[in-house]
Amino acid sequence: MPPASIHDTWLAHEATALFEFRGGGVFEPLAALPAWCDSLWQVGPGESVHLAEKSPFLENFLAEAEEFWTSPAPGARNSGYWVEQDSRGKEYPLEASAIWLAGKRVLTIRSLSGAYQEQQQLFQTARDALLTHERLLREIEKKEILLHCIIHDLSQPLTSMRSCFDLLLGKVEPEVAKFVMTGHRESQRQERMIRGILEAFSADLRGGESSTRGAALSADLVSCARRAVEQFAPAFTQHGIQLILAPYWDFERGSRVVGDAPRVDRIFGNLLENALRHSPAGSTVKVGLEDGGPVMTAFVDDQGPGLPKDSSRDHLFTLFGKGGDHPGKAGLGLYFCKMTVERWGGAIGAEDRAEGGSRFWFRLPRASQESAASLGPLGVNPPAAPVSPETTWKRVNKALHVVVADDDEISREMVVEVLRARGHKVTGVADGRAALAAFERVKPAVLVVDQHMPEMDGLAVARAIRQKEKQAGAARVILIGLSGNASGEDERRAFEAGMDALLGKPFEPNRLFQAIERPVAASRPEGAPGIAAPSEDLRTHITRMTGSDDKLARKLVAGFLADFPIKLSAIERAVSHKDADGLASAAHALRGGFSLFDARQSSLAARNLETMGREHRFEGAAEEFHTLSDDLNRLERQLRALFPQPISPKSSRARTRSHKKP
Amino acid sequence: MESIFDEQYHTTIGVKVDKKVVSVDREEVTLVLWDIHGEDVFQKMRMTYLRGMSGYLLVVDPTRRQTLEDALALEARVEESMGPIPWVLVLNKCDRIAEWEVDSERIPSSERSREAVIRTSAKTGEGVEEAFSRLTRAMLHSPC
Repeated sequence: MPPASIHDTWLAHEATALFEFRGGGVFEPLAALPAWCDSLWQVGPGESVHLAEKSPFLENFLAEAEEFWTSPAPGARNSGYWVEQDSRGKEYPLEASAIWLAGKRVLTIRSLSGAYQEQQQLFQTARDALLTHERLLREIEKKEILLHCIIHDLSQPLTSMRSCFDLLLGKVEPEVAKFVMTGHRESQRQERMIRGILEAFSADLRGGESSTRGAALSADLVSCARRAVEQFAPAFTQHGIQLILAPYWDFERGSRVVGDAPRVDRIFGNLLENALRHSPAGSTVKVGLEDGGPVMTAFVDDQGPGLPKDSSRDHLFTLFGKGGDHPGKAGLGLYFCKMTVERWGGAIGAEDRAEGGSRFWFRLPRASQESAASLGPLGVNPPAAPVSPETTWKRVNKALHVVVADDDEISREMVVEVLRARGHKVTGVADGRAALAAFERVKPAVLVVDQHMPEMDGLAVARAIRQKEKQAGAARVILIGLSGNASGEDERRAFEAGMDALLGKPFEPNRLFQAIERPVAASRPEGAPGIAAPSEDLRTHITRMTGSDDKLARKLVAGFLADFPIKLSAIERAVSHKDADGLASAAHALRGGFSLFDARQSSLAARNLETMGREHRFEGAAEEFHTLSDDLNRLERQLRALFPQPISPKSSRARTRSHKKP
Repeated sequence: MESIFDEQYHTTIGVKVDKKVVSVDREEVTLVLWDIHGEDVFQKMRMTYLRGMSGYLLVVDPTRRQTLEDALALEARVEESMGPIPWVLVLNKCDRIAEWEVDSERIPSSERSREAVIRTSAKTGEGVEEAFSRLTRAMLHSPC
């Protein structure tokens, strides 16, 4: 046997067979064939072979190869991978190429084994990762749905509870009223907690978007601290504890830090709940802020027993690491704080204070883009008085006919009762079709419809009514939606369907009144709706818009002052999360209140933000937001000066901000 | 064929050629099977693989709705390229029906050439033979 040429040796090493196409389906080996050719196709050395008869795959590919050889193009025609089995079941991964070589029509067939397995492993890993990713996304989706269902179910009874308390307040003796007020306050607190859970965990479930540090994710620490004190003051007062915001001076570089405002609120909330649990009656809890150059530190000082003396003090911020035998809930809150703060590049800790008690603090880096205008000077905040709901609602001068549609009987009856107590004429119906029938029959001024009803939901009702109005050329009825999940997306859908407002359940009756009655007030004959002449001062404008009804003006101002920070936060959140739909709906919702105040700059900024949201543009959104925020702060200061005693249970906000530092 | 109906998911690269003998109406038919990789972000199918094809099974994982949508899109391309040829839609994992994202009653019907929708289980073997039999019978009776 002659020695193998280097040519043959290389081909054998590469497990490659080399054939020349001779026409008529015949192929001749150009070199010694590798062993797999014989195992698979029983082709001996030097034999001509009809490859199409040996392999169905090659039969297919050779038609393509012959086309290539007929009209020679540069390069080669490749078959892609295929796998064949020999008679013993052994698999051969193969790859063929048709080429022109030294004027010959050449077919190379290569056995891939090692390379094939490597690539298969690579693909397997990639596809496994893809499947895992898909599974995770589905899990997240399921959890979000579950979360919304839970929130919806938890929220639903709160509306009824709140309305019951409100109705009771006007009918019970003062000594009983204080217990009713406590119930009312606690139902408010529960609502805030439910909303907080929804917002915080929805964001968590959406992934690590909040872990991004930078300008896109920033929160104003002063605002958050102030909100926290205002929110918790009633609970502290109830326990005989004074809650104050420590005095501080304007921070030269502003007070924006890396973080997401709702979650910074929650961190303050957790620290304050912790302080509330451990502080004795008669003591003072102080919330403070310190400028640390590139970072800002917030702290909560209490006068309680200090940190636990045992080893549990080292585990305060670990999961279920509640200190010692202190009363309280499982240690999830502080763990959440630690996780969140560290995700934003900050730190958190606790220490005993020399003068007694403990200090819980957290530190966050300053946001890379500071607000051009820092917040105005704020002074010491005395503990706010408990929030007191109005004991009776002022009956309206002009009763409206309102149709209330809700399939939940208790919710419906409560809304009906509340509106009747207000002096309106109310028709309650149990579903969307009945709402449409009532709309035709009684020609109401207002429809209040639950968004989620069987057969015909609130959105469908709204669309149908707007369609009917359009066809008949009739005036627009006021359409108010109710929803257990009044998210930005829900609001967007509601507005698209033609609703004028969407109230999340549970809602303050005053908010419902405001939604129903404000358009009526704004369209009184003395003042046409719209923006007044620029020369008109704010007081004159409001007087004109409210028909010189001072009580109405105070009520509307109070409603606006209580409401705009929430909407402003929603806009800030939407901008930082690049939530286009949320931005559009939040900016749209905020604009609703501007006509009363001639807030041209705010109106323009909000409109720009709404447009940005609708067009999914975020360039310049942060700057636009700051313009809006600054103008609204200016408006707020003017309104507080004009209306020192607004009519609203939410007026505690006015009190806490009215003390300026010298 | 094992890789098509293997309980354990195995990725396919290119084509795996196999043979299977199917008994239809007391007649034995030898099928040459081409197990072609599914289309996804990693691989696109070469339409040249389909040359000479007499019929095909489209195997879907109903626990992942996207696989049905991908399969139906592929079927449309095949129809456009090859004309009407028999095919059977195979809904695998019928042993895990509680996890299905696909409602088999609401699968868009193809008025053209789909022979059947068969539920199979790689785990129990349920439906696998029926899928091949239905396709084989359709191919034997197809005018194409």
